[in-house]
Amino acid sequence: MIEVQKLTKYYGLFCALKEVSFSIQKGERVGLLGPNGAGKSTMMRILTGFMPASYGTTKIGHYEIHEYPLEAKRLIGYLPERVPLYDEMTVKSFLKFVAQVKGVPRSELKSSVDEVVHTCGLEQVFYRIIGVLSKGYRQRLGLAQALIGSPPVVILDEPTVGLDPQQVVEIRELIKNLGGKHTVLLSTHILSEVSLLCSRALILNKGEIVAEITIDPSRPSAEIEQAFLKAISKEGLD
Amino acid sequence: MKSAWTIGKREFLSFFITPSGYVILGLIALLTGTAFVLSFLTYVQISQSPFQFGYSSVPDFEETFLSPYFVFCGIMIMFLSPIITMRLLSEEYHRGTMELLLTYPLRDRDIIFGKFGSALIILLLAIILIALNVCLLLPFSDVEWSVLLFGLCSVFLMGMAVLSVGLFISSLITYPITAGLVSFGIYLLMFIVGNVAEKLPASAPLPGTFPIILKGMIERLYILFRSLLLELPLDNHAKNMALGILEPKDIAYYLLCTAFFIFLTFRSLESRNWRK
Ligand SMILES: Nc1ncnc2c1ncn2[C@@H]1O[C@H](COP(=O)(O)OP(=O)(O)OP(=O)(O)O)[C@@H](O)[C@H]1O
Ligand SMILES: [Mg+2]
Repeated sequence: MIEVQKLTKYYGLFCALKEVSFSIQKGERVGLLGPNGAGKSTMMRILTGFMPASYGTTKIGHYEIHEYPLEAKRLIGYLPERVPLYDEMTVKSFLKFVAQVKGVPRSELKSSVDEVVHTCGLEQVFYRIIGVLSKGYRQRLGLAQALIGSPPVVILDEPTVGLDPQQVVEIRELIKNLGGKHTVLLSTHILSEVSLLCSRALILNKGEIVAEITIDPSRPSAEIEQAFLKAISKEGLD
Repeated sequence: MKSAWTIGKREFLSFFITPSGYVILGLIALLTGTAFVLSFLTYVQISQSPFQFGYSSVPDFEETFLSPYFVFCGIMIMFLSPIITMRLLSEEYHRGTMELLLTYPLRDRDIIFGKFGSALIILLLAIILIALNVCLLLPFSDVEWSVLLFGLCSVFLMGMAVLSVGLFISSLITYPITAGLVSFGIYLLMFIVGNVAEKLPASAPLPGTFPIILKGMIERLYILFRSLLLELPLDNHAKNMALGILEPKDIAYYLLCTAFFIFLTFRSLESRNWRK
Protein backbone atom coordinates (compact mmCIF):
# COMPACT_ATOMS: atom_id res chain seq x y z
CA MET A 1 0.00 0.00 0.00
CA ILE A 2 2.92 2.32 0.74
CA GLU A 3 6.05 1.86 -1.27
CA VAL A 4 9.07 4.07 -0.78
CA GLN A 5 12.16 3.82 -2.94
CA LYS A 6 15.46 5.56 -2.35
CA LEU A 7 13.82 8.55 -0.78
CA THR A 8 16.30 11.36 -0.20
CA LYS A 9 15.54 14.75 1.25
CA TYR A 10 17.87 17.69 1.50
CA TYR A 11 17.09 20.80 3.50
CA GLY A 12 19.60 23.05 1.81
CA LEU A 13 22.86 21.17 2.35
CA PHE A 14 21.56 19.19 5.31
CA CYS A 15 20.52 15.68 4.36
CA ALA A 16 17.44 14.74 6.42
CA LEU A 17 16.71 11.43 4.64
CA LYS A 18 19.27 9.25 2.88
CA GLU A 19 18.00 6.80 0.29
CA VAL A 20 15.29 5.34 2.48
CA SER A 21 13.43 2.38 1.03
CA PHE A 22 10.67 0.29 2.54
CA SER A 23 7.25 -0.99 1.74
CA ILE A 24 4.14 -1.54 3.79
CA GLN A 25 1.51 -4.05 2.85
CA LYS A 26 -2.20 -3.46 2.94
CA GLY A 27 -3.65 -3.80 6.43
CA GLU A 28 -0.27 -3.63 8.20
CA ARG A 29 0.37 -1.41 11.19
CA VAL A 30 3.90 -0.11 11.16
CA GLY A 31 5.67 2.00 13.75
CA LEU A 32 8.35 4.51 12.84
CA LEU A 33 10.85 4.90 15.66
CA GLY A 34 13.86 7.09 16.07
CA PRO A 35 15.52 9.71 18.24
CA ASN A 36 14.65 13.41 17.90
CA GLY A 37 15.65 14.80 14.55
CA ALA A 38 15.89 11.39 12.93
CA GLY A 39 13.66 12.46 10.09
CA LYS A 40 10.37 10.80 11.02
CA SER A 41 8.22 13.87 10.50
CA THR A 42 10.10 14.71 7.32
CA MET A 43 9.33 11.25 6.00
CA MET A 44 5.65 11.59 6.81
CA ARG A 45 5.42 15.01 5.22
CA ILE A 46 6.82 13.58 2.02
CA LEU A 47 4.54 10.53 2.11
CA THR A 48 1.49 12.75 2.48
CA GLY A 49 2.50 15.04 -0.36
CA PHE A 50 3.05 18.12 1.79
CA MET A 51 6.59 18.55 0.50
CA PRO A 52 8.50 16.95 -2.35
CA ALA A 53 11.43 14.64 -1.87
CA SER A 54 14.76 15.61 -3.41
CA TYR A 55 15.07 12.19 -5.05
CA GLY A 56 13.22 8.93 -4.96
CA THR A 57 9.66 7.76 -5.39
CA THR A 58 6.75 7.26 -3.03
CA LYS A 59 3.76 5.21 -4.05
CA ILE A 60 0.51 5.27 -2.15
CA GLY A 61 -1.70 2.52 -3.49
CA HIS A 62 -1.00 2.62 -7.21
CA TYR A 63 -0.27 6.30 -7.30
CA GLU A 64 3.05 8.11 -7.17
CA ILE A 65 2.41 11.00 -4.81
CA HIS A 66 4.30 13.54 -6.90
CA GLU A 67 2.73 12.52 -10.21
CA TYR A 68 -0.84 11.81 -9.12
CA PRO A 69 -1.15 13.92 -5.99
CA LEU A 70 -4.93 14.14 -6.03
CA GLU A 71 -5.56 10.42 -6.36
CA ALA A 72 -2.90 9.55 -3.79
CA LYS A 73 -4.12 12.12 -1.28
CA ARG A 74 -7.65 10.72 -1.49
CA LEU A 75 -6.26 7.55 0.08
CA ILE A 76 -4.54 9.27 3.00
CA GLY A 77 -5.62 10.47 6.41
CA TYR A 78 -2.84 12.44 8.09
CA LEU A 79 -2.29 13.74 11.59
CA PRO A 80 0.53 16.31 11.47
CA GLU A 81 2.93 16.50 14.40
CA ARG A 82 1.99 20.01 15.53
CA VAL A 83 -1.76 19.43 15.00
CA PRO A 84 -2.58 22.64 13.13
CA LEU A 85 -6.28 23.52 13.36
CA TYR A 86 -8.52 26.46 12.53
CA ASP A 87 -8.78 27.97 16.01
CA GLU A 88 -11.76 30.22 15.32
CA MET A 89 -14.04 27.43 14.11
CA THR A 90 -16.15 25.11 16.21
CA VAL A 91 -15.37 21.41 16.32
CA LYS A 92 -18.60 20.75 14.49
CA SER A 93 -18.04 23.15 11.61
CA PHE A 94 -14.39 22.11 11.27
CA LEU A 95 -15.21 18.42 10.95
CA LYS A 96 -17.96 19.19 8.47
CA PHE A 97 -15.50 21.28 6.47
CA VAL A 98 -12.92 18.48 6.42
CA ALA A 99 -15.51 15.93 5.37
CA GLN A 100 -16.61 18.16 2.49
CA VAL A 101 -13.05 18.84 1.36
CA LYS A 102 -12.32 15.12 1.42
CA GLY A 103 -15.27 14.60 -0.88
CA VAL A 104 -17.60 12.76 1.49
CA PRO A 105 -20.99 12.77 -0.26
CA ARG A 106 -23.58 15.11 1.16
CA SER A 107 -25.88 12.31 2.30
CA GLU A 108 -23.14 10.68 4.38
CA LEU A 109 -21.78 13.92 5.80
CA LYS A 110 -23.55 13.77 9.13
CA SER A 111 -23.01 10.09 9.73
CA SER A 112 -19.29 10.28 8.96
CA VAL A 113 -18.85 13.27 11.29
CA ASP A 114 -20.82 11.50 14.01
CA GLU A 115 -18.72 8.40 13.57
CA VAL A 116 -15.34 10.09 14.12
CA VAL A 117 -16.77 12.20 16.94
CA HIS A 118 -17.79 9.00 18.64
CA THR A 119 -14.57 7.09 18.01
CA CYS A 120 -12.37 9.98 19.14
CA GLY A 121 -14.53 10.87 22.14
CA LEU A 122 -15.32 14.43 21.06
CA GLU A 123 -19.02 14.51 22.05
CA GLN A 124 -18.37 16.77 25.04
CA VAL A 125 -16.68 19.50 23.01
CA PHE A 126 -18.67 19.15 19.79
CA TYR A 127 -20.02 22.71 19.91
CA ARG A 128 -16.90 24.34 21.40
CA ILE A 129 -14.51 26.67 19.64
CA ILE A 130 -11.29 24.89 18.75
CA GLY A 131 -9.12 27.67 20.17
CA VAL A 132 -10.26 26.93 23.72
CA LEU A 133 -9.79 23.16 23.61
CA SER A 134 -7.25 21.51 25.89
CA LYS A 135 -4.15 19.90 24.39
CA GLY A 136 -5.64 16.42 24.62
CA TYR A 137 -8.83 17.40 22.88
CA ARG A 138 -6.87 19.15 20.13
CA GLN A 139 -4.96 15.94 19.63
CA ARG A 140 -8.21 13.97 19.44
CA LEU A 141 -9.65 16.44 16.97
CA GLY A 142 -6.49 16.11 14.87
CA LEU A 143 -7.00 12.38 14.92
CA ALA A 144 -10.67 12.81 14.03
CA GLN A 145 -9.88 14.94 10.97
CA ALA A 146 -7.39 12.30 9.82
CA LEU A 147 -9.89 9.46 10.21
CA ILE A 148 -12.92 11.18 8.71
CA GLY A 149 -14.03 9.66 5.45
CA SER A 150 -12.31 6.44 6.50
CA PRO A 151 -9.19 6.65 4.29
CA PRO A 152 -7.41 3.35 3.55
CA VAL A 153 -4.00 4.71 4.57
CA VAL A 154 -3.63 6.46 7.92
CA ILE A 155 -0.42 8.31 8.75
CA LEU A 156 -0.13 9.54 12.32
CA ASP A 157 2.75 11.63 13.65
CA GLU A 158 2.95 10.99 17.39
CA PRO A 159 -0.78 10.33 17.88
CA THR A 160 -0.82 9.77 21.65
CA VAL A 161 1.14 12.85 22.75
CA GLY A 162 -0.70 14.89 25.36
CA LEU A 163 -3.56 12.49 26.00
CA ASP A 164 -4.66 11.44 29.46
CA PRO A 165 -3.90 7.82 30.45
CA GLN A 166 -7.42 6.62 29.85
CA GLN A 167 -7.56 8.30 26.46
CA VAL A 168 -4.18 6.82 25.55
CA VAL A 169 -5.65 3.37 26.15
CA GLU A 170 -8.76 4.26 24.11
CA ILE A 171 -6.85 5.75 21.20
CA ARG A 172 -4.48 2.79 21.14
CA GLU A 173 -7.48 0.50 21.02
CA LEU A 174 -8.84 2.62 18.18
CA ILE A 175 -5.60 2.44 16.21
CA LYS A 176 -5.43 -1.29 16.80
CA ASN A 177 -8.89 -1.65 15.35
CA LEU A 178 -7.87 0.36 12.32
CA GLY A 179 -5.55 -2.45 11.24
CA GLY A 180 -6.92 -4.94 8.76
CA LYS A 181 -9.11 -2.45 6.92
CA HIS A 182 -6.64 0.42 7.09
CA THR A 183 -2.92 0.57 6.58
CA VAL A 184 -1.37 2.47 9.46
CA LEU A 185 1.99 4.21 9.73
CA LEU A 186 2.63 5.93 13.03
CA SER A 187 5.61 7.53 14.68
CA THR A 188 6.15 7.57 18.40
CA HIS A 189 8.76 7.83 21.13
CA ILE A 190 7.01 5.31 23.35
CA LEU A 191 8.59 1.97 22.58
CA SER A 192 6.01 -0.10 24.38
CA GLU A 193 3.35 1.55 22.23
CA VAL A 194 4.93 0.13 19.12
CA SER A 195 5.02 -3.38 20.50
CA LEU A 196 1.38 -3.00 21.51
CA LEU A 197 0.07 -1.54 18.29
CA CYS A 198 2.29 -2.53 15.43
CA SER A 199 3.21 -5.65 13.63
CA ARG A 200 6.47 -4.15 12.47
CA ALA A 201 8.79 -1.33 13.46
CA LEU A 202 11.19 0.69 11.34
CA ILE A 203 13.97 2.38 13.21
CA LEU A 204 15.21 5.58 11.67
CA ASN A 205 18.41 7.27 12.75
CA LYS A 206 19.99 10.32 11.14
CA GLY A 207 17.91 9.84 8.02
CA GLU A 208 18.64 6.17 7.50
CA ILE A 209 16.70 3.03 8.35
CA VAL A 210 19.06 1.24 10.71
CA ALA A 211 16.83 -1.67 11.70
CA GLU A 212 13.55 -3.31 10.86
CA ILE A 213 11.93 -5.39 13.58
CA THR A 214 9.02 -7.73 13.18
CA ILE A 215 7.11 -7.82 16.42
CA ASP A 216 6.02 -11.13 17.76
CA PRO A 217 2.92 -10.47 19.86
CA SER A 218 3.73 -13.35 22.24
CA ARG A 219 7.21 -12.02 23.10
CA PRO A 220 7.83 -9.49 25.87
CA SER A 221 8.08 -5.87 24.84
CA ALA A 222 11.53 -5.42 26.40
CA GLU A 223 12.93 -6.87 23.22
CA ILE A 224 12.14 -3.84 21.13
CA GLU A 225 13.84 -1.56 23.61
CA GLN A 226 17.04 -3.55 23.28
CA ALA A 227 16.78 -3.61 19.52
CA PHE A 228 16.18 0.13 19.41
CA LEU A 229 19.13 1.00 21.62
CA LYS A 230 21.38 -1.43 19.79
CA ALA A 231 20.42 -0.05 16.39
CA ILE A 232 21.04 3.49 17.45
CA SER A 233 24.27 2.94 19.36
CA LYS A 234 25.66 0.87 16.52
CA GLU A 235 25.16 3.86 14.33
CA GLY A 236 26.93 6.02 16.90
CA LEU A 237 30.05 3.82 16.91
CA ASP A 238 30.64 4.04 13.17
CA MET B 1 -14.92 23.51 -8.18
CA LYS B 2 -17.03 22.13 -5.33
CA SER B 3 -13.92 22.09 -3.14
CA ALA B 4 -13.16 25.69 -4.08
CA TRP B 5 -16.65 26.58 -2.89
CA THR B 6 -16.04 24.75 0.42
CA ILE B 7 -12.69 26.50 0.95
CA GLY B 8 -14.18 29.86 0.05
CA LYS B 9 -17.14 29.41 2.36
CA ARG B 10 -14.91 28.51 5.29
CA GLU B 11 -12.70 31.51 4.63
CA PHE B 12 -15.67 33.83 4.35
CA LEU B 13 -17.30 32.59 7.54
CA SER B 14 -13.99 32.82 9.41
CA PHE B 15 -13.89 36.46 8.41
CA PHE B 16 -17.02 37.13 10.34
CA ILE B 17 -16.16 34.92 13.31
CA THR B 18 -13.02 36.98 13.82
CA PRO B 19 -13.37 40.78 13.92
CA SER B 20 -11.54 41.47 10.65
CA GLY B 21 -14.64 41.22 8.48
CA TYR B 22 -16.53 43.71 10.63
CA VAL B 23 -13.48 45.96 10.88
CA ILE B 24 -13.02 46.30 7.14
CA LEU B 25 -16.70 46.68 6.30
CA GLY B 26 -17.18 49.10 9.20
CA LEU B 27 -14.22 51.21 8.12
CA ILE B 28 -15.41 51.27 4.54
CA ALA B 29 -18.93 52.26 5.59
CA LEU B 30 -17.57 54.98 7.87
CA LEU B 31 -15.02 56.45 5.48
CA THR B 32 -17.08 56.31 2.31
CA GLY B 33 -20.17 57.57 4.14
CA THR B 34 -18.34 60.53 5.64
CA ALA B 35 -16.69 61.33 2.35
CA PHE B 36 -20.05 61.16 0.62
CA VAL B 37 -21.70 63.61 2.98
CA LEU B 38 -18.80 66.04 3.03
CA SER B 39 -18.20 66.13 -0.70
CA PHE B 40 -21.91 66.36 -1.38
CA LEU B 41 -22.23 69.35 0.92
CA THR B 42 -19.26 70.97 -0.79
CA TYR B 43 -20.88 70.40 -4.18
CA VAL B 44 -24.11 71.96 -2.91
CA GLN B 45 -22.19 75.03 -1.74
CA ILE B 46 -20.39 75.30 -5.05
CA SER B 47 -23.55 75.00 -7.10
CA GLN B 48 -25.32 77.65 -5.02
CA SER B 49 -22.63 80.24 -5.69
CA PRO B 50 -20.34 78.94 -8.43
CA PHE B 51 -18.63 82.30 -8.99
CA GLN B 52 -17.20 82.36 -5.49
CA PHE B 53 -15.45 79.07 -6.15
CA GLY B 54 -14.09 80.15 -9.50
CA TYR B 55 -16.60 78.36 -11.73
CA SER B 56 -18.39 80.29 -14.46
CA SER B 57 -21.55 78.21 -14.15
CA VAL B 58 -22.87 75.35 -12.03
CA PRO B 59 -20.24 72.64 -12.48
CA ASP B 60 -21.11 69.25 -13.92
CA PHE B 61 -22.44 66.98 -11.18
CA GLU B 62 -20.88 63.80 -12.46
CA GLU B 63 -17.51 65.33 -13.18
CA THR B 64 -17.03 67.30 -9.98
CA PHE B 65 -18.78 65.09 -7.49
CA LEU B 66 -19.67 61.58 -8.57
CA SER B 67 -16.58 60.47 -10.39
CA PRO B 68 -14.05 61.75 -7.82
CA TYR B 69 -16.17 60.08 -5.17
CA PHE B 70 -15.96 56.71 -6.91
CA VAL B 71 -12.21 57.10 -7.33
CA PHE B 72 -11.95 57.92 -3.63
CA CYS B 73 -13.91 54.77 -2.77
CA GLY B 74 -11.62 52.68 -4.95
CA ILE B 75 -8.56 54.12 -3.22
CA MET B 76 -10.08 53.46 0.21
CA ILE B 77 -10.66 49.85 -0.77
CA MET B 78 -7.12 49.66 -2.06
CA PHE B 79 -5.64 50.81 1.22
CA LEU B 80 -7.93 48.70 3.39
CA SER B 81 -7.64 45.54 1.29
CA PRO B 82 -4.49 44.27 3.06
CA ILE B 83 -6.79 43.48 6.00
CA ILE B 84 -8.50 40.98 3.70
CA THR B 85 -5.58 39.66 1.71
CA MET B 86 -3.01 39.32 4.49
CA ARG B 87 -5.05 36.48 5.92
CA LEU B 88 -5.70 34.55 2.77
CA LEU B 89 -2.60 32.40 2.40
CA SER B 90 -0.08 33.83 4.90
CA GLU B 91 -2.29 32.90 7.80
CA GLU B 92 -2.54 29.30 6.61
CA TYR B 93 1.24 29.11 6.47
CA HIS B 94 1.65 30.86 9.79
CA ARG B 95 -0.76 28.62 11.67
CA GLY B 96 0.49 25.50 9.92
CA THR B 97 -2.96 24.71 8.54
CA MET B 98 -1.39 24.75 5.08
CA GLU B 99 -0.11 21.31 6.04
CA LEU B 100 -3.73 20.19 6.27
CA LEU B 101 -4.87 21.89 3.07
CA LEU B 102 -1.95 20.57 1.06
CA THR B 103 -2.48 17.00 2.22
CA TYR B 104 -6.22 17.00 1.59
CA PRO B 105 -7.26 15.96 -1.90
CA LEU B 106 -7.33 19.52 -3.24
CA ARG B 107 -5.99 21.09 -6.38
CA ASP B 108 -4.07 24.33 -6.19
CA ARG B 109 -6.88 25.98 -8.10
CA ASP B 110 -9.41 24.96 -5.44
CA ILE B 111 -7.34 26.73 -2.81
CA ILE B 112 -6.59 29.83 -4.90
CA PHE B 113 -10.04 30.33 -6.40
CA GLY B 114 -11.70 29.55 -3.08
CA LYS B 115 -9.59 32.14 -1.28
CA PHE B 116 -9.89 34.73 -4.04
CA GLY B 117 -13.62 34.11 -4.30
CA SER B 118 -14.17 34.77 -0.63
CA ALA B 119 -12.19 38.00 -0.92
CA LEU B 120 -14.33 39.02 -3.90
CA ILE B 121 -17.52 38.44 -1.93
CA ILE B 122 -16.26 40.77 0.79
CA LEU B 123 -15.42 43.30 -1.91
CA LEU B 124 -18.95 42.91 -3.21
CA LEU B 125 -20.32 43.65 0.26
CA ALA B 126 -18.16 46.78 0.38
CA ILE B 127 -19.52 47.82 -3.03
CA ILE B 128 -23.05 47.34 -1.74
CA LEU B 129 -22.26 49.69 1.15
CA ILE B 130 -20.99 52.28 -1.32
CA ALA B 131 -24.03 51.73 -3.51
CA LEU B 132 -26.27 52.50 -0.53
CA ASN B 133 -24.61 55.92 -0.31
CA VAL B 134 -24.97 56.85 -3.94
CA CYS B 135 -28.50 55.47 -4.21
CA LEU B 136 -29.51 58.29 -1.86
CA LEU B 137 -28.97 60.57 -4.85
CA LEU B 138 -31.49 58.90 -7.10
CA PRO B 139 -34.66 60.61 -5.85
CA PHE B 140 -33.01 64.07 -5.81
CA SER B 141 -31.10 64.25 -9.04
CA ASP B 142 -31.39 63.20 -12.63
CA VAL B 143 -28.35 60.92 -12.44
CA GLU B 144 -28.98 57.84 -14.46
CA TRP B 145 -28.87 54.31 -13.11
CA SER B 146 -26.34 53.34 -15.70
CA VAL B 147 -23.88 56.01 -14.60
CA LEU B 148 -24.04 54.85 -11.00
CA LEU B 149 -23.75 51.22 -12.03
CA PHE B 150 -20.77 51.97 -14.20
CA GLY B 151 -19.04 53.85 -11.41
CA LEU B 152 -19.61 50.98 -9.01
CA CYS B 153 -18.31 48.54 -11.62
CA SER B 154 -15.12 50.53 -11.94
CA VAL B 155 -14.63 50.42 -8.17
CA PHE B 156 -15.23 46.67 -8.26
CA LEU B 157 -12.77 46.10 -11.09
CA MET B 158 -10.13 48.12 -9.34
CA GLY B 159 -10.78 46.27 -6.08
CA MET B 160 -10.47 42.94 -7.86
CA ALA B 161 -7.08 43.85 -9.28
CA VAL B 162 -5.91 45.06 -5.89
CA LEU B 163 -7.07 41.83 -4.22
CA SER B 164 -5.17 39.73 -6.75
CA VAL B 165 -1.98 41.64 -5.98
CA GLY B 166 -2.61 41.11 -2.26
CA LEU B 167 -3.28 37.40 -2.78
CA PHE B 168 0.02 37.00 -4.57
CA ILE B 169 1.94 38.80 -1.84
CA SER B 170 0.14 36.70 0.74
CA SER B 171 1.35 33.56 -1.02
CA LEU B 172 4.96 34.73 -0.79
CA ILE B 173 5.12 35.85 2.82
CA THR B 174 4.37 33.44 5.62
CA TYR B 175 3.75 36.05 8.29
CA PRO B 176 0.36 37.77 7.93
CA ILE B 177 1.28 41.18 9.38
CA THR B 178 4.33 41.41 7.13
CA ALA B 179 2.25 40.41 4.11
CA GLY B 180 -0.27 43.12 4.98
CA LEU B 181 2.39 45.79 5.44
CA VAL B 182 4.18 44.88 2.22
CA SER B 183 0.94 45.09 0.23
CA PHE B 184 0.10 48.39 1.88
CA GLY B 185 3.56 49.73 1.05
CA ILE B 186 3.23 48.71 -2.58
CA TYR B 187 -0.18 50.40 -2.92
CA LEU B 188 1.13 53.54 -1.28
CA LEU B 189 4.11 53.63 -3.60
CA MET B 190 1.89 53.18 -6.65
CA PHE B 191 -0.46 55.87 -5.43
CA ILE B 192 2.36 58.36 -4.92
CA VAL B 193 4.05 57.48 -8.19
CA GLY B 194 0.76 57.86 -10.06
CA ASN B 195 0.17 61.28 -8.57
CA VAL B 196 3.69 62.47 -9.28
CA ALA B 197 3.57 61.14 -12.84
CA GLU B 198 0.57 63.33 -13.63
CA LYS B 199 2.62 66.39 -12.78
CA LEU B 200 5.53 65.44 -15.04
CA PRO B 201 5.71 67.59 -18.18
CA ALA B 202 4.60 65.89 -21.37
CA SER B 203 8.06 66.07 -22.92
CA ALA B 204 11.49 65.77 -21.39
CA PRO B 205 12.65 69.07 -19.84
CA LEU B 206 15.96 69.30 -21.69
CA PRO B 207 18.00 72.48 -22.20
CA GLY B 208 17.85 73.87 -25.73
CA THR B 209 21.59 73.41 -26.27
CA PHE B 210 21.33 69.64 -25.84
CA PRO B 211 22.90 67.58 -28.67
CA ILE B 212 20.22 66.71 -31.20
CA ILE B 213 21.17 63.04 -31.54
CA LEU B 214 20.86 62.34 -27.83
CA LYS B 215 17.79 64.48 -27.56
CA GLY B 216 15.66 62.18 -29.72
CA MET B 217 16.68 59.12 -27.76
CA ILE B 218 16.16 60.66 -24.37
CA GLU B 219 12.84 62.07 -25.50
CA ARG B 220 11.60 58.58 -26.43
CA LEU B 221 12.83 57.03 -23.19
CA TYR B 222 11.23 59.79 -21.21
CA ILE B 223 7.87 59.33 -22.91
CA LEU B 224 8.00 55.61 -22.30
CA PHE B 225 8.93 56.15 -18.66
CA ARG B 226 6.21 58.72 -18.14
CA SER B 227 3.48 56.65 -19.72
CA LEU B 228 4.56 53.62 -17.68
CA LEU B 229 4.25 55.66 -14.51
CA LEU B 230 0.89 56.92 -15.67
CA GLU B 231 -0.53 53.58 -16.73
CA LEU B 232 0.81 51.21 -14.07
CA PRO B 233 -0.78 52.59 -10.88
CA LEU B 234 -3.96 50.74 -10.10
CA ASP B 235 -6.11 53.76 -9.42
CA ASN B 236 -5.37 55.77 -12.56
CA HIS B 237 -7.56 53.70 -14.85
CA ALA B 238 -10.50 54.00 -12.51
CA LYS B 239 -10.49 57.78 -13.01
CA ASN B 240 -11.59 57.50 -16.62
CA MET B 241 -14.05 54.77 -15.95
CA ALA B 242 -15.68 56.57 -13.07
CA LEU B 243 -16.34 59.48 -15.41
CA GLY B 244 -18.47 57.14 -17.44
CA ILE B 245 -15.96 56.99 -20.26
CA LEU B 246 -16.06 53.40 -21.40
CA GLU B 247 -12.66 52.50 -22.72
CA PRO B 248 -11.90 48.86 -23.38
CA LYS B 249 -8.28 49.48 -22.45
CA ASP B 250 -9.19 50.39 -18.87
CA ILE B 251 -11.35 47.32 -18.38
CA ALA B 252 -8.74 45.15 -20.06
CA TYR B 253 -6.08 46.63 -17.80
CA TYR B 254 -7.85 45.46 -14.66
CA LEU B 255 -8.80 42.08 -16.03
CA LEU B 256 -5.28 41.44 -17.28
CA CYS B 257 -3.78 42.63 -14.03
CA THR B 258 -6.02 40.24 -12.08
CA ALA B 259 -5.25 37.33 -14.38
CA PHE B 260 -1.53 38.04 -14.19
CA PHE B 261 -1.37 38.07 -10.40
CA ILE B 262 -3.60 35.00 -10.08
CA PHE B 263 -1.20 33.30 -12.49
CA LEU B 264 1.75 34.34 -10.31
CA THR B 265 -0.05 33.01 -7.25
CA PHE B 266 -0.43 29.65 -8.98
CA ARG B 267 3.28 29.60 -9.75
CA SER B 268 4.10 30.61 -6.20
CA LEU B 269 1.97 27.82 -4.70
CA GLU B 270 3.34 25.36 -7.23
CA SER B 271 6.92 26.21 -6.40
CA ARG B 272 6.72 24.04 -3.28
CA ASN B 273 6.68 21.02 -5.59
CA TRP B 274 9.85 21.97 -7.38
CA ARG B 275 12.34 19.39 -6.26
CA LYS B 276 15.23 20.89 -4.42
N1 LIG C 1 11.91 22.98 7.17
C1 LIG C 1 13.11 22.56 7.58
N2 LIG C 1 14.22 23.22 7.22
C2 LIG C 1 15.43 22.81 7.61
N3 LIG C 1 15.66 21.74 8.36
C3 LIG C 1 14.59 21.02 8.78
C4 LIG C 1 13.26 21.40 8.41
N4 LIG C 1 12.41 20.52 8.96
C5 LIG C 1 13.16 19.64 9.64
N5 LIG C 1 14.48 19.93 9.55
C6 LIG C 1 15.58 19.15 10.12
O1 LIG C 1 15.50 17.83 9.64
C7 LIG C 1 15.79 16.91 10.67
C8 LIG C 1 14.66 15.91 10.82
O2 LIG C 1 13.54 16.57 11.35
P1 LIG C 1 12.19 15.81 11.69
O3 LIG C 1 11.20 16.82 12.13
O4 LIG C 1 11.82 14.96 10.52
O5 LIG C 1 12.63 14.90 12.91
P2 LIG C 1 11.75 13.91 13.76
O6 LIG C 1 12.32 12.57 13.56
O7 LIG C 1 10.32 14.07 13.47
O8 LIG C 1 12.06 14.42 15.23
P3 LIG C 1 11.10 14.48 16.50
O9 LIG C 1 11.16 13.15 17.13
O10 LIG C 1 11.75 15.51 17.36
O11 LIG C 1 9.75 14.86 16.06
C9 LIG C 1 16.04 17.73 11.94
O12 LIG C 1 17.43 17.82 12.12
C10 LIG C 1 15.46 19.07 11.61
O13 LIG C 1 16.20 20.09 12.24
MG1 LIG D 1 8.69 14.64 14.45
